[in-house]
Amino acid sequence: MAFEPKRPQKKINYEEIRLYSDAELNSTTEEELKNFKIKHDIPMCEDLEKGPWPSFVADAKQGALHRRKLADGRVLIPRDVIEDLLGQLELSFVHGETHWKHGGIVGVFGYGGGVIGRYSDLQEEYPAIAHFHTVRVNQPASKFYDTDFLKGLADLWEYRGSGLLNLHGSTGDLVLLGTITDQLEPLFQEMAHVLDTDLGGSGSNLRTPSCCIGKARCEYACYDTQAMCYEMTMHYQDELHRPAFPYKFKFKFDGCPNGCVASIARSDIAFIGTWRDDIRIDQNAVQGYIAGEYAPNAGAHKGRDWGKFDIQKEVIDLCPTGCMSLEGGKLVIDNANCTRCMHCINTMPRALRPGTDTGISMLFGAKAPILEGAQMSTLVIPFIKAEPPYDNIKEVIEKVFEWWMEEGKNRERLGETVQRVGLPKFLEILEVPAAPQMVKEPRSNPYIFWKEEDVPGGFQRDINEFRKRHKR
Amino acid sequence: MEELKSAIIEFLEGGKTKTKFYFKDIEKAVKQKIPEAKTLQIKKACSALINDGTLIYFSTGSTTMYGLKGRGITEDH
Repeated sequence: MAFEPKRPQKKINYEEIRLYSDAELNSTTEEELKNFKIKHDIPMCEDLEKGPWPSFVADAKQGALHRRKLADGRVLIPRDVIEDLLGQLELSFVHGETHWKHGGIVGVFGYGGGVIGRYSDLQEEYPAIAHFHTVRVNQPASKFYDTDFLKGLADLWEYRGSGLLNLHGSTGDLVLLGTITDQLEPLFQEMAHVLDTDLGGSGSNLRTPSCCIGKARCEYACYDTQAMCYEMTMHYQDELHRPAFPYKFKFKFDGCPNGCVASIARSDIAFIGTWRDDIRIDQNAVQGYIAGEYAPNAGAHKGRDWGKFDIQKEVIDLCPTGCMSLEGGKLVIDNANCTRCMHCINTMPRALRPGTDTGISMLFGAKAPILEGAQMSTLVIPFIKAEPPYDNIKEVIEKVFEWWMEEGKNRERLGETVQRVGLPKFLEILEVPAAPQMVKEPRSNPYIFWKEEDVPGGFQRDINEFRKRHKR
Repeated sequence: MEELKSAIIEFLEGGKTKTKFYFKDIEKAVKQKIPEAKTLQIKKACSALINDGTLIYFSTGSTTMYGLKGRGITEDH
């Protein structure tokens, strides 16, 4: 289906909005960079340049040299901002602790998120980074950028910020690293009115939703992740910009169970594409794989000789639920027991494809904090159709929001609230009956405690008899 | 709306040492005073107070709090 924007889309033309000339943008040479020393001694940082990988230190030094060469008035925050940044980083390596303070009252008018205040705690030694605020920019679905937009944003950020970018932060946003408080409002005005973009989410907000590449490029996508991500971003603008949740809340959209944006591991609601009919099998192509006519995994591992493809060893025996077999030379799948691990489809993409009755599974409660407490999400809705305008899905989301805003404690993620009150309560809120698919491991570890009224015919239990056999 | 705004301001002015509050704390206080108040209405009242400059957001990056403009930590710290 063709993309239908909610509002007119602006065509960005870099030549009309550019701030720097080609000469200004290409002002540094390899030779100059080789001999360039910033104003601080940074031996430990420079050590990081010696590894086999591209180094952020080398990139930062290039940025520092570039800013030194710009004429007066061509940057609006201190031109030595990157040099002080590296200087403070070196000191942090020496001290083994950070010198950043974060948080504060920076932001743009009316927005509760998108800007994260950051300050140096060594402002006299490193005055150029006394303020070094971070700005999150809402990325387009699947990060499909127009180069005119990116060049325009890079110019704007060089002019009003440090010029340093993070493409992309782990939340998904494009992150602008480091500017001063006075530049936040003008930066935002130009981002909104010239570049036609918006801030992302931070704080106790809905965070910027993110999605995999979806149907734009991937044959496995079971729904249009880009369309759904865009719809949810636009529909929940108030939740994205005006914080009233107990803590952060993340949506992520994976088109298939391969989970390229890892929604299952890090989003409060994971939307994962799936199908409820059978895996499509092309038996001729299966025979082609067995005969060695097609490279397994679409040739992804052909850099090394793994020997002849063995369908039994490499596919059937690796099925986690053992639901595949070869019968009379034909591949047979017991679809009811498929847990959507995707291994067989990934290995033989020419022979196997997801079914055609597609939709999504909704999982709840993942979090991936930096220090401790990582938690995977829990499958609660095994299948729901995912078609515009997604009213059926919004209904579920809004039940979750309403309940969590009521029940969640301050700084408690959805997964922690569910863990505290128990999954059965959460199922009651969503009006979803407990199902065999809600198991921790396939078919072996159900964690629902049934109530008597939930079970046909009920059951009777004598707690005193039970305690005779099981001490407290 | 005006009643909600007054309840919010009254609660925020009442803090002896604290100057920044989680939304849930505001919500709880307002619901104690006006039991029929709905969460969404309280959020809208908070947003209106932000837009008229009475309240400010305070964000650590991971969480957000509300405070009265001019009380406690102000523009820089």
